[in-house]
Amino acid sequence: MNPVTDPTIAARQRWIGVLARAVGDELSRHESALRDAEYQLIRAPEIGMTLVRGRMGGTGAAFNVGEMSVTRCVVRLADGRTGYSYLAGRDKPRAELAALADAHLQGPQQQHWLAQLIEPLAQAQARRRAEKDAETAASKVEFFTLVRGED
Amino acid sequence: MNAALLQPAFADPVLDAQRSFRAALKALAGPGVMHTLQAAQRPPALSGLDSATHALCLALLDIDTALWLAPAFDTPAIRANLAFHCGSPIVTERQHARFALLDDSQLHDLAGFDLGNDRYPDQSCTLLIQLPSLGGGRSLSWSGPGIETENKVALPLSDGFWQQREQHNDFPRGLDMFFLADSDLLGLPRSTRVAQAAQERA
Repeated sequence: MNPVTDPTIAARQRWIGVLARAVGDELSRHESALRDAEYQLIRAPEIGMTLVRGRMGGTGAAFNVGEMSVTRCVVRLADGRTGYSYLAGRDKPRAELAALADAHLQGPQQQHWLAQLIEPLAQAQARRRAEKDAETAASKVEFFTLVRGED
Repeated sequence: MNAALLQPAFADPVLDAQRSFRAALKALAGPGVMHTLQAAQRPPALSGLDSATHALCLALLDIDTALWLAPAFDTPAIRANLAFHCGSPIVTERQHARFALLDDSQLHDLAGFDLGNDRYPDQSCTLLIQLPSLGGGRSLSWSGPGIETENKVALPLSDGFWQQREQHNDFPRGLDMFFLADSDLLGLPRSTRVAQAAQERA
């Protein structure tokens, strides 16, 4: 995938990624704030399947890893801003909240939402990831070949 | 895509699309019999498209069905909503279209649409024709598969259209059509024979 050069698109990709990785009640905690706007469902939350493809080593020929369930949603606020969400799994309320968050984040209150919603989520995700990495690193086994016995 | 033009589609995407597909199926299986979409299954109005036209678009079009739009329907709102809800590519050349959306200004010329081929006549283009109404024209007698004896249909169409249909009908190749007005639809498959009614009933 080519890196995105447009900073507004890169910023939106980041918060959409953060929203997609939110777990448990991380989004529903903000439900009342997110829903505190007049909005319309352009595409009501719907569950579907998507095919995940990969490349061996990131460069080989593409192969199909398998299918996963995905929930997506599109909302529009009264002022015309649209918010999109695509989340792994089958959680419709969470998809609606993530789409609402995306819509709010494109508005004049962007800094407020970034500070209140996205940054705490991103920090929590970074923390979880670091814990997982540390756990994995602790169980890492290094194999050395001392003598190959070639001579 | 202009996101501000987007609007909701079917209230219940799965069931409403299935009901609309069923109506389309019945319309083609029994040519000349009017079917009306129930209020609950109609999608919200999209400017320029009647609810039956809109419903059939949502039920029939997807990413694999190239669509040709008559100039009257080639508006930013229709393009944006069909691209969003159906994902169908919109083509400028008639021969690449699997479906075509026409209004009554286009009916004097049906040239260029794909009639399918002898091996795969099903690959022909299907025409969705939106009319101001499905009555009020000259009464014609339809007969053929799906019609027990004959159906009298009075579509407001000119002789030029019927000549064009005759010209682009090389059975089994040919064009299947839906006539749509408001929330009504009526099917005309290629197999239906249309003759002027022998006697006009007063």
